[in-house]
Amino acid sequence: MRHFKLTIFAVLLTATLAFGASGLTAGKVELKSAGALAFGPDGILFIGDALGATVFAIDTEDRTAPKSVEKIDIRGVNQKIADLLGTAADQIVINDVAINPISKKVYLSVSRGRGPDAVPVILRTDSTGKISQVSLTNVRHSMATLPNPAESKEVRGRNQRLEAITDMAYADGRVFIAGLSNEEFSSNLRSIPYPFEQVTKGANIEIYHGSHGRFETNSPVRTFLPYTIDNQKFLLAAYTCTPLVKISIDDLKAGSKVKGTTIAELGNRNSPLDMIAYKKDGHDFILMANSSRGVMKLQADKLGGFQPIVAHTETAGVPYETIASLKGVQQLDKLDEKNALILTDASGTLDLVTIALP
Amino acid sequence: MYADKICIRFICVYLRLSAALFFVFAAHAATIHLENGAFRVDGWKPTGDPASMFSVHVGMSETPMLGDYEVAGDSVIFRPRFPLSSGVSYRAVFHPPGAAKLETVFEGPAPPNGPKTSVTQIYPTADTVPENTLKFYVVFSAPMSQGEAWKNLKLLDGQGKAVDLPFLEMRQELWNPESTRLTVLFAPGRIKRGLVPNLEDGPPLRAGTTYTLTIDQGWKDARGLPLASTHIKKFRVGSADRTPPEPNRWKVTAPKAGTRDALQLDFGKSMDYALLLRLVSVPSVNGSVEIGPGESVWRFTPDDPWKAGVHQIKIDTALEDLSGNGVGRPFDIDVFEKVTKTIERKTVSVPFRVR
Repeated sequence: MRHFKLTIFAVLLTATLAFGASGLTAGKVELKSAGALAFGPDGILFIGDALGATVFAIDTEDRTAPKSVEKIDIRGVNQKIADLLGTAADQIVINDVAINPISKKVYLSVSRGRGPDAVPVILRTDSTGKISQVSLTNVRHSMATLPNPAESKEVRGRNQRLEAITDMAYADGRVFIAGLSNEEFSSNLRSIPYPFEQVTKGANIEIYHGSHGRFETNSPVRTFLPYTIDNQKFLLAAYTCTPLVKISIDDLKAGSKVKGTTIAELGNRNSPLDMIAYKKDGHDFILMANSSRGVMKLQADKLGGFQPIVAHTETAGVPYETIASLKGVQQLDKLDEKNALILTDASGTLDLVTIALP
Repeated sequence: MYADKICIRFICVYLRLSAALFFVFAAHAATIHLENGAFRVDGWKPTGDPASMFSVHVGMSETPMLGDYEVAGDSVIFRPRFPLSSGVSYRAVFHPPGAAKLETVFEGPAPPNGPKTSVTQIYPTADTVPENTLKFYVVFSAPMSQGEAWKNLKLLDGQGKAVDLPFLEMRQELWNPESTRLTVLFAPGRIKRGLVPNLEDGPPLRAGTTYTLTIDQGWKDARGLPLASTHIKKFRVGSADRTPPEPNRWKVTAPKAGTRDALQLDFGKSMDYALLLRLVSVPSVNGSVEIGPGESVWRFTPDDPWKAGVHQIKIDTALEDLSGNGVGRPFDIDVFEKVTKTIERKTVSVPFRVR
């Protein structure tokens, strides 16, 4: 009997050690695709796998702060990655770039190949310029499956629906996910509480309809950023239909409709790509990369002053300037309070470089 | 004593020379092969870390490719972590210490054969589409390369002039899992009323104009090969559609009991092709779906003959028409006008009787 109790104790202890307080278990992570990246607490990297409709949380074990933050300058990073992965540079797609806020090391999600059999790869680099693969064969991880909308059981034919994960961020114990379906336009913003062990078959995944403006749509969010205004937590969300909208995180309740406040219109013939927030000389700014309107620097000191639209006119707008020196910026991430990391495309050659925050 | 030192020195030099000659001989005797995607040095028994002497590179790159080493008898095998790519040269370098470098260049595998890929359909197929059409689907005969869409898709107006940035050009292209169907969204900011892009530029499509959509032959398939030919689709644009699909206006043609005749649901206007396939069904009756002309008709053929009685067609309210109007939910709602048509249910049912 005593032996039995000891065995149970040992099994429970082993399970506790393996599972850990964060619900991570060691094992192989099998990605079907590697898209959006976001860092959570303690070096946890979230990987959005749109093809697998899953968000993975992996423990990078990368928790050592550098003595000083060195600049990164990797020209032709797509060619360097192609050399490492044994293929041509045009077969490398860098889907996202994220900086570990503790170690300042840079993580990249990459597709090796462009067809349906493209291989997802997670890479890591730093100021030395050396690029290495992050092994996922035995890594502490957990996962949350994104529920796909129900489909008919009676009709034959393969489900062709996929939902691209356009952006992902961690804030206050939740992973926020913006998506865009290849079928219905009507779209949702989702959040998953982290650690993921609380998620049971998607039951805890909350869905919001964040509409904005006079003409409501369930338009998809393209990129977003957790942001605090006057001690209140918001998501600053840039929609595919161009406005920049603030949505109160406190107002996000499962299944609810949330009314966002349009704080800027980013102009026509343009799509926002990525954004970061920073402080300089006592003022708040947001830096935003765009598809065709360059990099915008938005004055963010008075974001709290924009009220929800109550009249027929839609004239709100945060002032911004375009940073002429930054061209072809595809990805942005903050390195420290003074520097950002950008991925730029100069006619097919991708450069990963540090810039001083403007 | 002195003679002893000379003797030892002589022996050392002799040994060094012998070692060097051995490596030179070994290196020269060694050969590099490529077999089943793995690089192999034969005729050499490694004495150190094989990674320090044997590496494989893309072209003239100095960076060694990722892979794993295996030592088997007189051979060292390097297995690249990823399959070799067609159109890429691989340089295998064997360089043991003190010996000449041996380099052999191999070509990646030839691209798979097969017929050229072509565009098989573009939805909507209707000759005339609403001005506020939200998207179309391009269907290919084989898997395509991703990241090629925006340079290979062009929309020309009635005068043959390219429409400036009509599409939502996203980095993440919206493909199906097989990479054979691409969803192309028109810039939603230009379609949604009240936004600056809509007010300044207007919608990308104008009523009364005939447009030409071209899909360039240069678009590469998943093998890296161009399409069989440039594909051209002409369509006319009618007035904007801001009316949500209304189930009570749809026409049902019920089949006869004991037959496997098709059940037909006529929407009276074109609907979204992909959503019709996924979101309309007859509960508890298995069968196959066909989409009728201009995506305005849904036809369902059961696997087994119909049983007499009342059945239901179940429609998820996420079903959209070409303009993104959902069942009971217009694409854009003017929040300052009273919205009277709202359906809160997530599915609606259309009954029909089989006699």
